[in-house]
Amino acid sequence: MITIWRIIKNGFSTFVRNGVLSFASTTVMVLTLLSLSLFFIVNVALNAGIEAVQEKIDLSAYLKDEAPEAQVLELQTDLAAFTEVETVKYVSKEEALERYKEQNKNNQKLLESLEGLENPLPASIEVKVTDPQYIEKVAATFDKEDYKEYVSKVSYKENKIVIDRLVSATKYIQNIGISATTAFGIVSLIIIYNTIRIAVFSQKNDIEIMKLVGATNWFIRGPFVLEGALYGVIGTMISMVGLAALLYYASPSISNYFGESGSGVTSYLYDNVWLIFSIQLAIGIAIGVISSTMALNRYLKTTE
Amino acid sequence: MITLKDVSKYYTKDNPVLKDIDIEIAPREFVCIVGQSGAGKSTIVKLINKEIEPNSGDIIVGKINYAKFPKRQIPFLRRKIGVVYQDFKLLPKKNVYENVAYALEVAGVSNKEIKERVPKILKLVGLADKGTCYPNNISGGERQRVAIARALVHQPQILIADEPTGNLDPKNAWEIIDLLLKINTFGTTVILTTHNKDIVDRLQKRVITIKDGKVVKDEKVGKYEL
Repeated sequence: MITIWRIIKNGFSTFVRNGVLSFASTTVMVLTLLSLSLFFIVNVALNAGIEAVQEKIDLSAYLKDEAPEAQVLELQTDLAAFTEVETVKYVSKEEALERYKEQNKNNQKLLESLEGLENPLPASIEVKVTDPQYIEKVAATFDKEDYKEYVSKVSYKENKIVIDRLVSATKYIQNIGISATTAFGIVSLIIIYNTIRIAVFSQKNDIEIMKLVGATNWFIRGPFVLEGALYGVIGTMISMVGLAALLYYASPSISNYFGESGSGVTSYLYDNVWLIFSIQLAIGIAIGVISSTMALNRYLKTTE
Repeated sequence: MITLKDVSKYYTKDNPVLKDIDIEIAPREFVCIVGQSGAGKSTIVKLINKEIEPNSGDIIVGKINYAKFPKRQIPFLRRKIGVVYQDFKLLPKKNVYENVAYALEVAGVSNKEIKERVPKILKLVGLADKGTCYPNNISGGERQRVAIARALVHQPQILIADEPTGNLDPKNAWEIIDLLLKINTFGTTVILTTHNKDIVDRLQKRVITIKDGKVVKDEKVGKYEL
């Protein structure tokens, strides 16, 4: 117990004593964690964006008013038989009207104009597929001889190009993000590795004396490993503050840019602040501990 | 107590530092190991302190055969062997008291016990009133006393002094040698490596002479003759 306390004490004092080096390491750590978080956020935003668009573009087919109920039911069963289909929902004319009214509840004039009219909205079938790539396959059902004459319009086609572009852009950005974050992670690992190595080197004599007076490797390594972990902890704190500031100033423009899904992104981040904090902390500490352990292992081995 | 049997050590194959060395040192003995620079004196010290491994031969200290001794246990072995060096190897940012206490801290000794043992050992080496001084503010002789105090604080059975007087003037050197003799009378085995002829000749102790990596002379009461 007393030994652990002494290791902790020594760890803090080496951190303070290596002021400039600690500052450099912490800075790199902050940059790494920030880039990681930014990538994470961009990723969340993109996914939210895609989801929002996909939500809108899920397959739906408007039915002609004269479509017989039996055919409509059969069509639904046919669609549900696909494994790629998540849900099939029949939206009646009345429901469609309700929705329309709800969507335009702020537009009194429009609503007034509807009054007295016979319901002009068609019934529709909304199909949710597990992945947008199956839409075409499923949509072919509507073209079947049996159903063709009752379907007035299948709505996915207009948006298909947009989706395709968005999906490929996301993949592209995800790849860039993963490579950038990996690169940053490796860079900070190398820099912290070298920082600790310089710290170890500058305390070469101290370490030699520690070994001389019978310090275990654990006792020698402990403070340096703790120092590495401290870079992670302090780096996380700074990067969280930076991130909060960034979100605070950027969230209005995010919301503007993405519309509703944008505010979803910011609220997602607010809801998951502890998750982001823990991920940063875990990665920060891992980078610090791994690099300092590596730096010391080389040294402790060669001088044993 | 200490046995080196057929011990050889070389860093490059053609240039051995030690060649088939045989040395036996009894408990409570005071032994001088003499020889020119590069003769292999410090290599013997490093072998006994297990800082390096021999290429062949056996080293047995007490009941421990070094060849079978696990690496992880080395720190505990070091606490049983005190070593002092020519360059003192003190921590410059710690004062005299802290330097000695550090050897105990490292070993996980409680603060209470440290407070008891350090003043006693400082008194033994004649530095009772210098505890708060820093290494840079005391004389070379005093620094070597601090190093000896630190080496002794674990109450080791063996004290190795590797050229302890190399950086000291004759008066300070003799004070250190007197201190080593005093420690020897308490029952600690003392191994002194030196190339100070004056000291060796006046000590009238066992002298092992090393030349070109070999023991060329081993006399019960020896002189410094290379």
